Amino acid sequence: MPRGEVGPVTRTNDTAAHRRPWDFGLTIATVVLLGGLGAQSFIGTLYSWWATRQIPLWTQNGYYGFVDTMNAIAAPQVLALVVVMGLCVPKRLFSRTALVAVSAGMVIAGVVVWAFTGSTAQGLTVYLTLAALIQVAVVVMTMAGARGPSYLTQGRMTKIGSGLLHLGFVIFAIVVVALQRSPFMEPVFWTSAVLTTVGTIMAFYADKFAVRRVRPVTPED
Amino acid sequence: MNPVSTNTELTTLLSALASIGGPLQWALLASAVFLGLVSFMPSLKKIRERALCVVVGLLATGEVALIWFHWRLYAITAVVSPVTGETTGHVAVSMWVESEKLFVWALILGLMALFAKRHRSELLPGVCFSLALITIGAVLWGQPFTEPLPQFLGQYRGYLAASGSGDINAAMGAYQGMESSRAYYYNTWYMWVHPPLLFISYGAFVMSFVSTIFMWIRRHSSYEETAYRWARLGYLPLTFGMLLGFPWAILAWQGESWWWSGKVNMSIMMWLLYTAYLHGRLYLRRKGMWRVVAILAMLSFLVLVLTYMTTYIVPGAHSYA
Repeated sequence: MPRGEVGPVTRTNDTAAHRRPWDFGLTIATVVLLGGLGAQSFIGTLYSWWATRQIPLWTQNGYYGFVDTMNAIAAPQVLALVVVMGLCVPKRLFSRTALVAVSAGMVIAGVVVWAFTGSTAQGLTVYLTLAALIQVAVVVMTMAGARGPSYLTQGRMTKIGSGLLHLGFVIFAIVVVALQRSPFMEPVFWTSAVLTTVGTIMAFYADKFAVRRVRPVTPED
Repeated sequence: MNPVSTNTELTTLLSALASIGGPLQWALLASAVFLGLVSFMPSLKKIRERALCVVVGLLATGEVALIWFHWRLYAITAVVSPVTGETTGHVAVSMWVESEKLFVWALILGLMALFAKRHRSELLPGVCFSLALITIGAVLWGQPFTEPLPQFLGQYRGYLAASGSGDINAAMGAYQGMESSRAYYYNTWYMWVHPPLLFISYGAFVMSFVSTIFMWIRRHSSYEETAYRWARLGYLPLTFGMLLGFPWAILAWQGESWWWSGKVNMSIMMWLLYTAYLHGRLYLRRKGMWRVVAILAMLSFLVLVLTYMTTYIVPGAHSYA
């Protein structure tokens, strides 16, 4: 850390961060997966730039093969990212032992549906729906001021914002995986967009909205 | 609608824009070059501030001229069915497509530079230099006043030519193409929201990038905080703007393989990197983490620049935008 004043007001202290290796592991996994997909996107873009110049009629003949290859490479990464995103949800609510059980239960539920239906999309949808339900519980409990949910960030507004934006992303993932051709796509999508945006605003600018309630000093104090 | 008279009106409008905007382009170019030259001269701090005001003033004046141009363009560019002879509508081209994109980016960055407070004196040289580069690019590469909207005008003039040719098949084909562009691109609400949101984020990310450079050089966390403040301002419209693209793309690019088109690839990559940066900084106090965060922030900005360039060099669904 560079010398100087303390960083963002929303971050908690060192010890708290060290107490959460699971959090750190998930964050690193997310960053690695995001980086992997990013690198794939970059390499894919370079390749398509090269191919359009070097391979005659590539856009007509080669582009669809390129898309298939890109999909095949991205699929396990996206799958892993969705799984990691789902695992990020119960960590707010459960103790270490329960967390492993709940996470394993979510994965197993998804795998069972996938095995029965043969559809990866349906397996992922079940998994993500479970994650969304847990995240709703997390948000409601955070709003109610319950002690259960734990966050890396501080301040109730920031926590609610973080909860809402992650709920928005989980719902958006459900839209991408399961609802692209559904009549419910638009309302569910807009719900996710509003949750993500409002959640991001609250998470980033909680300090601007915070109303400090000061208890008046009484003679008894 | 008479194709010949419409074409004449269009030519008159373009001449009027060129006569207003031609001198403005030269003034902008000169002031941007000057701003670039005085950016890093500490002794010319006051002159730099004034040059910044001049550039932003000229950009704002140019934007007013472009709004007038687009307003007039909307009135002229009627689309008429060759079968019924009825006007089905007008084309509402937004002010941030084709040759005008860099111009809008420069204006937004200029406004941010004018109103920036935190670490202003340190950030301004880098920001002014970036603004100068973008403005020079907007004038020389974009030429929004002398060569406006080449793709749209090419398509519309083609439609006018086909309408006046007497060949009903050619007229019908051009009409359908124009109607499709109108319905799924130019006149959609999306085109009036998605690009400006992204340009606001691009402007904020320039500020964040310059601040990250200072963090890297001076090793002081207050610059990291400044970089973060600008990055969060950029991340919000970036996320919302990109999310908005999803339902529109499903509708407009139905059947096309747009997921892996160059611009979509790069935009997703940029968003992923900024997300990784914002997640990474939650652990800023871990040993050595600030380096990772700084590298992620700089890498994200590099990808932003590449994302912008991709529109022009890699074919795909965004190539015409």
